Amino acid sequence: MRFRQIFRFEFRYQLSSLSTWIYFLIAFMLPFWFSEIVRPNDDAVYINSPFFLILATVFTGVIWLLSAGTIAGQAAARDVQTRMYPLVYTTPVSKLEYLGGRFSAAFLLNALIHTVIPLGFFLGFYLRKVDSGQIGPFRPEAFLSTYFYLSLPLAFYVTTCQFSVSVIRRKAIAALLVSFLLFPILSQLIGYSIANLLDKAALYKLIDLVGISVLKDIETWTPFEKNNRFIPLNGPLLWNRLIWFAIATLVLVYSYYRFTFVHQAEKSARKLRQKKADITGADVASPVPDSKIGMFPLPSFGRSARFSQLLVLTRSSFRYIAGSRTGLSLVGLYAILLVVVAGQFLQEKGVPQYATPMNVLPMITASLTNINTGLIIIPMLIAFLAGELIWRERDYGQHKMSDTMPVSEWGLFLGKYMGLALVIVLWMGFLLLAGVLIQLTQGEANIAFGVFIKALFSIQLINYLLFAMLALAVHVLVNHKYLGHVAVLLAYLFIAFAEKLGIEHTLLIYGSDPGWSYTDMRGFGPFLAPLFWYKAYWMGWALLLAVVGRLALVRTMPEGFGGRIRSIRNRFTRSTTLTTLAGFAIILVTGSYIFYNTNVLNEYVSSREWIKRQAGYERHYRKYLDSPQPRITGTKITVELYPQHRKATIRGSYKLVNLTPVPIDTICLDIKPEVETRNIRFTRTARAVVEDRLHGFNIYTLQKPLQPGDSLQMNFEVVWQSKGFRNTNLDVSVIDNGSYFVNQERFPAIGYNLYRELRTNPERKRYGLPNWKLPSLYDSTSRQIRQGQELTSFEAIVGTDEGQTAIAPGNLVRTWKDNGRNYFHYAANAPIRHKFSIFSARYRTYTSVWKDTVSGKKRDVTFTMYYHPGHADNIERIARSVQASLTYYTRTFGPYPQDHLTIIERSGSVGDLNAEPTAIDYGEAFVLLNVNDNPQALDVIFFAMAHEIAHQWWGTGQVIPALSEGAHVMSESLANYSGLQVVEETYGEEQVRLLLKMWRDAYEVPRMAYMNSLLEANDPFLGYRKGVMALHALTGYTHKETVNNALRQLLIKYGASKPPLANTLDLYGELKAATPDSLHGLLSDYFAKNLYWQLKTDQVHAEPVDATHWKVSLQVKAKKYTIDSTGADRMEPLNDWIEIGVFAPGVASPGVATPGVASTKPLYLKKHKLTQEESTITVLVSEKPVRAGIDPNYLLFDLFPDDNQKNAKINGDRMMKGDAL
Amino acid sequence: MELNITNISKTYPNGVAALKHVSLRIPKGMYGLLGPNGAGKSTLMRILATLQDPSEGTIHLGETDVLNSKDEVRKTLGYLPQEFGLYPKATAENLLDYFAVLKGFSQKASRREVVESLLKKVNLWDARRLKLGGFSGGMRQRFGIAVALLGNPKLLIVDEPTAGLDPTERVRFLNLLSELGENSVVLLSTHIVEDVSELCTNMAIINKGEILLETQPLVAIRSLRGKIWRLMIDKSRLPEIETNYQVISTKLFSGKTVVHVYSNTNPGNGFDMVEPDLEDVYFSTMTGHMGSGRKKQEVAL
Repeated sequence: MRFRQIFRFEFRYQLSSLSTWIYFLIAFMLPFWFSEIVRPNDDAVYINSPFFLILATVFTGVIWLLSAGTIAGQAAARDVQTRMYPLVYTTPVSKLEYLGGRFSAAFLLNALIHTVIPLGFFLGFYLRKVDSGQIGPFRPEAFLSTYFYLSLPLAFYVTTCQFSVSVIRRKAIAALLVSFLLFPILSQLIGYSIANLLDKAALYKLIDLVGISVLKDIETWTPFEKNNRFIPLNGPLLWNRLIWFAIATLVLVYSYYRFTFVHQAEKSARKLRQKKADITGADVASPVPDSKIGMFPLPSFGRSARFSQLLVLTRSSFRYIAGSRTGLSLVGLYAILLVVVAGQFLQEKGVPQYATPMNVLPMITASLTNINTGLIIIPMLIAFLAGELIWRERDYGQHKMSDTMPVSEWGLFLGKYMGLALVIVLWMGFLLLAGVLIQLTQGEANIAFGVFIKALFSIQLINYLLFAMLALAVHVLVNHKYLGHVAVLLAYLFIAFAEKLGIEHTLLIYGSDPGWSYTDMRGFGPFLAPLFWYKAYWMGWALLLAVVGRLALVRTMPEGFGGRIRSIRNRFTRSTTLTTLAGFAIILVTGSYIFYNTNVLNEYVSSREWIKRQAGYERHYRKYLDSPQPRITGTKITVELYPQHRKATIRGSYKLVNLTPVPIDTICLDIKPEVETRNIRFTRTARAVVEDRLHGFNIYTLQKPLQPGDSLQMNFEVVWQSKGFRNTNLDVSVIDNGSYFVNQERFPAIGYNLYRELRTNPERKRYGLPNWKLPSLYDSTSRQIRQGQELTSFEAIVGTDEGQTAIAPGNLVRTWKDNGRNYFHYAANAPIRHKFSIFSARYRTYTSVWKDTVSGKKRDVTFTMYYHPGHADNIERIARSVQASLTYYTRTFGPYPQDHLTIIERSGSVGDLNAEPTAIDYGEAFVLLNVNDNPQALDVIFFAMAHEIAHQWWGTGQVIPALSEGAHVMSESLANYSGLQVVEETYGEEQVRLLLKMWRDAYEVPRMAYMNSLLEANDPFLGYRKGVMALHALTGYTHKETVNNALRQLLIKYGASKPPLANTLDLYGELKAATPDSLHGLLSDYFAKNLYWQLKTDQVHAEPVDATHWKVSLQVKAKKYTIDSTGADRMEPLNDWIEIGVFAPGVASPGVATPGVASTKPLYLKKHKLTQEESTITVLVSEKPVRAGIDPNYLLFDLFPDDNQKNAKINGDRMMKGDAL
Repeated sequence: MELNITNISKTYPNGVAALKHVSLRIPKGMYGLLGPNGAGKSTLMRILATLQDPSEGTIHLGETDVLNSKDEVRKTLGYLPQEFGLYPKATAENLLDYFAVLKGFSQKASRREVVESLLKKVNLWDARRLKLGGFSGGMRQRFGIAVALLGNPKLLIVDEPTAGLDPTERVRFLNLLSELGENSVVLLSTHIVEDVSELCTNMAIINKGEILLETQPLVAIRSLRGKIWRLMIDKSRLPEIETNYQVISTKLFSGKTVVHVYSNTNPGNGFDMVEPDLEDVYFSTMTGHMGSGRKKQEVAL
C-alpha cells in the first residue's frame, strides 16, 4: 500500500514537471526525423526497416542516456535536496517501500520514454512526406525485439546505476555523471581499449552498454537481412545483457544496504560538532566585543575593485570545479588511461608506431564535434560544469546574499566563464603531459613540446573555450538546470550533425573551421591561417554570447518571462551597446573576410551541388563513353611549382593517335573542375562545340577527320593557385613542403571519365540515373583501354623553389638552377601508363642500383628514394625490399620493363601506399612504424613495399586489369600473393604465418557473410584478403610453381596490355590450365562461389603403440555451404581433400613469441578425402603429439578457424610409466 | 539619509497581490516591520534589497532611485535574507573574504582588517577556520550578519533575523543591530513583537500587502492606554466572550486562557485594565481597532 502510494506520487510528480515531457519529446522527435538525419546509401534497404529502427533506437538511447539522468536522480535524491527528508525519514515507511517505490517510478518513466522511440520512428513515415518507394512492410516483431532486447534492458541498467549513485551521493546531478561514466568513458574508452589490449573484439561486445557493438554487427547484414532480420538475443548480446543485469542488481542491492533514513552530516561531522560545542560554549561566557562599526576601512568601487572582484569570482569558480570530484579527475583519468593504453593505439597491423607528434596528436586532440573519440568527455564535462557554475549560488541558497553584492553582471558571468576556462587550461595541461609521457614511455627521444603546445593551447583550447561560452550562455538563457543540460546537448548535436542536416557553410556552424592536421612534413601547413580567421570570427559570436549571458543572468527572484525581458532591458546600457557593436564588428570584419575567401576567391559548392554536377556530368556525357577517340601516346609537360604561393602552372602537350579503324572527327576532353584549363590548341583546325565549365567537359570537331593511324598534337595549359581558403578541404596540392598531385585530378584527359560518376544509388535515383555497378565480367566493352591506362612516352620538366626537389616519372636527365629556382628534367626510356604524380619537397635522396643477375639480360634498375630527412629509419629496409622483390619477380614472372624505379614519400597523415608506373609513393605515417626494435613483429614495411613493386607487374605496370568486376583481384590479390612469396623467400615461415594471420583476422571483424565471388569481386576485401588466401591455398594443394606458372602465362599473354584487357576469367583460365582436373572443383569453390567451410575438431586422442609409435585418432566435423544475397545458407555436398595435421611441440626460436601463431613441428600433414559431415581419422606418428586438427594451415575459408585444432588427450600415459618401472 | 517607499505594489504572475500601494518613510535608525507570515514582508524586503522589481511605485534611498540604479544601491546595501545557504565547503574566513571583495574591498590589507574585525564582532573569530557546512543555525545567522555588515551599509535590511536563534544569541544579535542603527537605515522585518519593542524607534505593521499602521512604538502604546482589558477564563467560556467583546488576543497562562479585549470603556464582568504593550498594539491593529484597518472598518460601518 505505502509502496503503491510512494510509487504513484513519484510518478505523477515527475509527470507534472516540464523536463520529463521534454525527454519524451526528444525521444519522439529524433526517431521521427531519423530518416532525414541518417540517409541510407543503399536504396535496397527500406528506411523503415528493422535495421534503421535499431539504428534509431541506439542513437536515441545514447541521447537519452546523456540527457535524461535526472529522472532517476530526482527520484533518488529529491527529498534530501529539497530538505524535506526529516519529514519523510521519520515516517514509518520501510526502506524497501521507499526506495522501491521511487526506483520503480523512475524506471517506469524511463521505460515509457523508450517506448516513444519506436512510436516516433513509425509515425514519422505516416505523418511526414516520404518517398513511398523506400517504405517496406510494417514489422511489429522488429519493434518488440528491439524494445525488449535493447531499450528496456538499457533503461533498467542505466536507471539502476543512476538511481543508486544518486541515493548514495544524495545528489540528483550525480546521475548525470553516472551517464558520462557509463557512456563515453566505460563503454567507449575503457571497453574499446581493453578489447584492443587483449586482442578480443568480442570483449567489447560484452562491455558495450548502449548497443554500439550491435550496430557494428548489423552493418554487415545484407540488404535483405537489413529489411527482414531482427536482433537475436543470443551469443555475446545475451551475455552482455546478463552481465549487466547482474551488475545492475548488485549496484541496486548495494545502494539499498548503504541507504539509511538518517541525517547525513558533513564528512568530519563529529569533530566539527565537538569544536562547535567548544566555541558556542565559550560564546556565552565571553562578552560581546565592543567595537564600533565606523572603524572599518571603506570599500572602493573603482576599476581595481572590479578587477579584483572578477579575480575572486574566477578563483572561486575555479576552486569550486577543481575541488569537486569530477572537475579534474575525469580528464586526469582519461589522460592517464591514454598513457597506459598508448601502446595499443600506437600500432598498425601489430607493429608499434613511433610516437612522433603526428601519431600522438590524434590521441590527445580531436575536433570538438568528433563524437567517436573518448575526448568527447571534454565537451560533455564543459556542458555539465557550466550548468553547475550557473546554478552554484542557487543550489546552495547563497544567491540572495551574493546577488545583492555590488558586483556587475559582467563580473558574475565572466567570473564563472574564466573559472571554467582555467579548468579547461588545466585539462589541456593534463593532455600535454599525457602527450609527453606517451612519447617518453614509447621511447621517442624528441619531445614535441612545441607542437603539442600549439595544438592544445591554441587550437584545442580556443575550441573548448568557445564551446564553454555557448554552454554558459545556454544555461543562463534556459534557466532550468536539467533542461539547460538538454539544450546544451542539443546544441552540441546540432554542431556535430549540422552537415547532415544540410547546413554546410562553416560560417553557420558555431565554433567550426575548415579543419586542420599536423604532419611531420607539412607541419601545420596551410591550416593555421584560416583557423585564425575562423576563431576570431567565432570569438566575435562568443562576445555576443557573453553579452547575452550577462543580460539574461538571473539575479532576481523568478518573475516569469516578462520580468526577464524587463531586467534585460534595464541592464542594456551604453557599454552594452558598445560591446555588442564590437562583437558585431568583429563578426562582420572576420565574417566578410572568411566569406570573401570561401565564396568569392573560391567557389562555394555545397555537397548537394557537387552531387548534382556529378550526376549532370554522367547524364550529359555518358553517351560519349564508347565514341571512338584518339589515344594519348606521347606526353610532354612543363610544370612550374611555386610552393610559397601555393601555385602551379603547367604547359603540356599530348600526342594523339587514331588507333581505331574509323576516322575520328570529334574529340572529347575531360576537364578537371579543380583547376583552370586554358589555351587548348590542336595541330589541326578544330572547333569547340561544347565548353562546359560547370561539368568539365569539352567537345571539339575536327575540320578534317583524323584517319586511322593518323596523329595530331594537343597543347594545353593548366593553372591553379590556392587563393586564401575554402569552406572545407583546404587544397594541399602545392604547399610549403610536401606538394603532390595526380594527373587524373588536374590534367585534361581524352574521353568520358568513368571515375567521375556518382556511385551512391539513392542519390543516383534522385537524378534519374540507373543503379551504379561495376561493369560485368562478361561485358566486352569493359576490356577496352580507359583513361589512365594508355601507354605513352613521357617527358617532364618540373621547376620548383630553391631547396626543394621535384619529382616526376622517368629518369632524371638533368637538373639546373635558373632564377633562384631548381629545375628537373625527367624522361622515361620506355612507354609508361598515362597515370602519374608530381611531387616537390625538401627531400633527402637515396640512390642505389639493382644488379640484374637473374634474367641474363643485365637489365640493371636504378632506384631512387626521396624521403623526409626525419624519416630515414626504414629507408634501408625499403631498399632491401626493392632488391629482394626485383630479384624474385624478375626470376619468377619476367623482367621489369623499365630501367628505373622511384620511391617517394608523400606528405599527409594518411599512410597508404600507391603504385604508379615506375613510381611508388607512400604516406608519411607508413614509415613511422618501428620495425627495427620489434623484429618479432610482421615486417609490414618490407611486405608492403614488395606488394607495391609487384604492381609493376600486376595492376599498373604490365598486366592492366579491365575496369570491371574482379579488377581488385587482378591487381591486389596478385600483388599480395607476389609480396607473400618475397617475404617467404627472405624471412621464411614465421613472417609468412604472421602475414596470413593478419589477412585471416580480417574475416573475424564483423563483415557481411554474403559477398560476390572472387571472379566477380567488387570490393577491396575480396581483392586484398580473400583473393590472396585463395591463391595461397592453391599453393598448399598443388605447388607454388603451379600457381607461379599460371601467373607467368598471364603475363605473357596480357603483359603488353593491348585491349582486350585481362580480367579474372583469364586468371581463372590460366589457373585451371595449370592445375590437375582433381582440383577444379576446389578452384571453383574458391573463385566462382561465395562458399565457406565449417571445419572443427571435436576430440583428439593419442596413445602409444610402442616405443616409437603413437596412434592418434581425431573426431572431426566438416561441411561446406554457400551464402546467398538474402543471407541464407545452403549446404553443398562435401567431397574435398582436406589437410589433417598432428603436431609436436616446436622448438621455439629464442625471443620469438607471437601471440596467435603457435610454433610447432608437424608430425603428420596429409590431405584426406572427406565426404561425411563427421568422421574419425586415425594416423600413426613417431613422437608424442600435443595437438592435432583439421585444416591446420587454414587453407579453406572458415569463419571460425579457432576450433580447427585441439590439444591431444593422451591415453595410457600411466601404463607407459608403469612399464618403464 | 532616508528611505522613501512610494506607492509600491507587487502582483505575482500567478495573480497573487503581495503588496498593495505600500508607502513608507523610513528615517535613519532602527525601523521595525511587523506582520504575520505571508503579509508581504519578505516581498517588500526583497524589493528593497534589489532582488525583485515591484509592479509599480518608486523607492528612493536619499537621492538614489533604488529601482533604477540597483548597482548604486548595492554598494551601500546590507541584506540578511530570511533563509539563505552558504557554500558548505568554504571556511568562514575565506567566504567572508570572498564577499568582502565583492563588496569592493580590493586592498588585501584593509580587507583582512575588515574580515577580522567583523568575525570578532559576530564572535566567529575562533571558528574562522571551520567549514560553514558544520555551522549551527546561530553561527550561520551571525555569519550572515557579518556579510550584511560588510562595507558600512547605509541601508541594512534584515528579514526575520531572530527566528532560529536561542535567547543568548538573539540578545547579542539585537545589540549588534542597535549599534548599526546609529548611522544607517536599518529595516527589521519580523513577526516577533519583542524584537521591535526592544529595538525600534519607528515601526509599521503590515498585513495582506497593506500597511495598517505606521507609528512609533511609544506613541502607539500611549494611544492604547486605558483601552485594553484582561480577563482570565476557562477555555470553555471563550466563544461566549468572543461574541460579546472585541477580543484582540488570547493566550494561555498556567492552564487558563487570558483574554485581551479592546474597549474604550470598562467592560465590567471582572475585566481588569492592563497597561498596554506593543503586543496589544499589534493585535489591536490586526483586529482592526487601530491604524488604517480601523478607518476601513469605520467606512464599512
